Amino acid sequence: MRKNLTLSLILVLLISLIFSVNLFAQEKGGTLRYAMIDTPPSLDQQVVTSDLATIIAQHIFEGLYTFNSQYAPVPMLAEGSMVKEDGRLVTINLRQEVTFHNGKEMTSEDVVASLKRWGEFGVRGPVLFNYIEAVEANGSYAVDLHFSEPFSAWQSMLAFINGGPVILPSEIMENADERPISPEDYIGTGPYEFTRWDTGRFIQLSRYEDYAARSDQADGYGGERIAYFDELRFIPVSEVGTRINGLRAGDYDYAESMQGDLYEDLKADDRVNVLVNQGAQFGEVFFNQKQGIMTNKKLRQAILAAVDMEPVMQAAHGHPDLWDLNGSIMPEKTIWYSEAAIEKYSRGDAELARKLAEEAGYNGERIRYMATTSYQTMYDSSVVIAQQLSEAGFNIDLQIYDWATLASRRNDPEVWDLFYTWHGFVPDPILYTFLSPTYPGWWDTAKKRLLVNNFTQAMEQEERVEIWSELQEEIYDHVPILKTGDNYTYDIVVPEVKGFGETSLIWPKFWNIWFE
Amino acid sequence: MWVYTFRRLLTIIPTLLVASIIIFSFMHLMPGDPAAVMLGTNATPEQVERLRTQMGLNRPIYIQFLTWIRGAFVGDLGESIFFQSPVMSVIRSRAETSILIAFFSMILILTIGVPVGVISAVKNNTPLDQFSMGFAMLAASIPTFWLGLNLMIIFSVNLGWLPSSGFPSVIESGNLMNLKYLILPCLTLAAPNSALIIRLTRSSMLDVMSEEYVKTARAKGLKESEVVIKHIFRNAIISVVSALGFTFIALLSGTVVTETVFSLPGVGSLVVQSVLRRDYPVIQGVIFVVVILYVLINLLTDLSYGFLDPRITYD
Repeated sequence: MRKNLTLSLILVLLISLIFSVNLFAQEKGGTLRYAMIDTPPSLDQQVVTSDLATIIAQHIFEGLYTFNSQYAPVPMLAEGSMVKEDGRLVTINLRQEVTFHNGKEMTSEDVVASLKRWGEFGVRGPVLFNYIEAVEANGSYAVDLHFSEPFSAWQSMLAFINGGPVILPSEIMENADERPISPEDYIGTGPYEFTRWDTGRFIQLSRYEDYAARSDQADGYGGERIAYFDELRFIPVSEVGTRINGLRAGDYDYAESMQGDLYEDLKADDRVNVLVNQGAQFGEVFFNQKQGIMTNKKLRQAILAAVDMEPVMQAAHGHPDLWDLNGSIMPEKTIWYSEAAIEKYSRGDAELARKLAEEAGYNGERIRYMATTSYQTMYDSSVVIAQQLSEAGFNIDLQIYDWATLASRRNDPEVWDLFYTWHGFVPDPILYTFLSPTYPGWWDTAKKRLLVNNFTQAMEQEERVEIWSELQEEIYDHVPILKTGDNYTYDIVVPEVKGFGETSLIWPKFWNIWFE
Repeated sequence: MWVYTFRRLLTIIPTLLVASIIIFSFMHLMPGDPAAVMLGTNATPEQVERLRTQMGLNRPIYIQFLTWIRGAFVGDLGESIFFQSPVMSVIRSRAETSILIAFFSMILILTIGVPVGVISAVKNNTPLDQFSMGFAMLAASIPTFWLGLNLMIIFSVNLGWLPSSGFPSVIESGNLMNLKYLILPCLTLAAPNSALIIRLTRSSMLDVMSEEYVKTARAKGLKESEVVIKHIFRNAIISVVSALGFTFIALLSGTVVTETVFSLPGVGSLVVQSVLRRDYPVIQGVIFVVVILYVLINLLTDLSYGFLDPRITYD
């Protein structure tokens, strides 16, 4: 009995010790210094899709919804929602006592103004607002979305913060247009508030002491958000060697976008921890379907048959941990993963390509392929693809531009046949740019329109997954794009920063993260 | 001299006008669209077009030019497309770093380049001269990028004596200790430029040393130090001074590699980033300011000849 009591006491003491160490470990304080590759153009999330902007702005601004660790939409500023009239009316209830960084309480008036500005001027807004007839306040803490026809992806659209519908005070949103708002208007509801933009030096955020955190458990971007750091400082450091040396020298705590060929060295270095980002990106070659030689579907199929993606990924991303040969347009760990038609992916069959090209009536005409040197991985991939196409008998004219020039030229269907770009991770396929008929490439066939329409109107998730599979099959048959494969960026962080685990999400976030 | 100075100052106006037309034309001949860069890869052509209209980029080029030049001559260089703030304030925010780097690098260049060049010339063809020339050759041929990263690895990562990168403002914080951020960049920049000044000083000195009046000075029994300083160095320095003027201008605006390696918010990297972003007002504004500086520093260099050599007049 006495022995049991002693053991129990020791156990209680041990548990208390563990708890006290844990509490001590998660104390608030410190400035997290983040070395990023460049300065973002603006932090206005509604009209800018730069990842650099999102990495910073997600700490300032919040949307009605966000994504959990499974990339399913979950409420953030919303309390919940009700879908009525067969999906034509959605009522979103708002959380109460949420305040903006200027102290004002968020109400339905702010939400309506923010959604309207995003719907009219936001980069991704029109995708959702093509289906919305009206947005109205329903009392102070609820908003009604009136749909012209059911649109199943509305939650995902409201949850995707990059170019997405973040909520700001109505007095700012009512006066905003397509131009990014100015820094003095960076007023959100997030755990950090914007405090300073020292041009060329840093962007600084400070903990918002009156932050109204959710009470549900943190999961992905969802749930409770606790700001442990006093300040977050985002510093532009364009040179990768400087980011690494700066972190090793103790001048930075987190450095983003490391090179693939440094992966092994950095993993072996005990002064840094390596974090692979979960959000898979992929390279894509667009075909000009409006004008020129690539309007020939058979020829596009020939090009698809010619390319083996393994050397492409190897050259561009290096270490195998950083890429997957995945023919499914959506990554493997998502509900959207599909094996439909992926046997046509990465065949590298020059014989078949020649046969298909002959059937297409191809006689060695020049194929203008635009690529960029602004991003090393894009350039490396483009060169290997061009080489393979040349070996398969295509007359490739590889034209190299800086990104700004390429982004401008691709809008002119007269000057190109193929161009290379990349697509960031999206949690719902409706967000893919190549589905837009106005995006360069101009994929706009009756079959595609029908499938996209069915996809957006299906309200059941299983049905949506099925239709997405059909769309993927159509992608491999019609060949509007060529997917290279999934790749993962990786960052490094000093070992004293805790809370990440092995990986980070699409964009690294710094709530629920602390200094040991 | 005053008439000369006034005449030279007047030449700034046509120089700026011609430079502005060239800059403006080249900027707008360059393909690429600032609106597309700002909105990102996912923007549709309609959205890009709307933003272009909002920014006034769809107006005829000559109207854009006249608007810009009218503002430029009264000190308003327009608004940065990327930063959404006045170009003058963007340049001002970068000027501190560039001016301090140029200033401290020049001090290093002068204190290394001129004495070593003089000693090398005086001790011509001795081991000391060969050592100096070897050093100059090495300093000139090491790539700035490599030197910068290696200085960083030695002094920041391994020894931990100096910060690796960045530069917090001295003016805003009032903290002179922030100047330590500039030690490695200035050393990196001084190395190749000192080499140039060493070689130039040495060759100018050697040229003058073979002149008859130097032999006369020695024959008169003057002390060797007096011959070297008064008769050789003073006559040889004019070509070095002109090189220093150009070096200073280059350091103010053309230190892109060093600014990139040390992540410094200077004018050089601002120009390169602005070209990539097609931020026309910033590119035009910086070049406008640099042209003014160029003319002014050239004028100062020319005026300094008169002080160094009384035979030079400005009538």
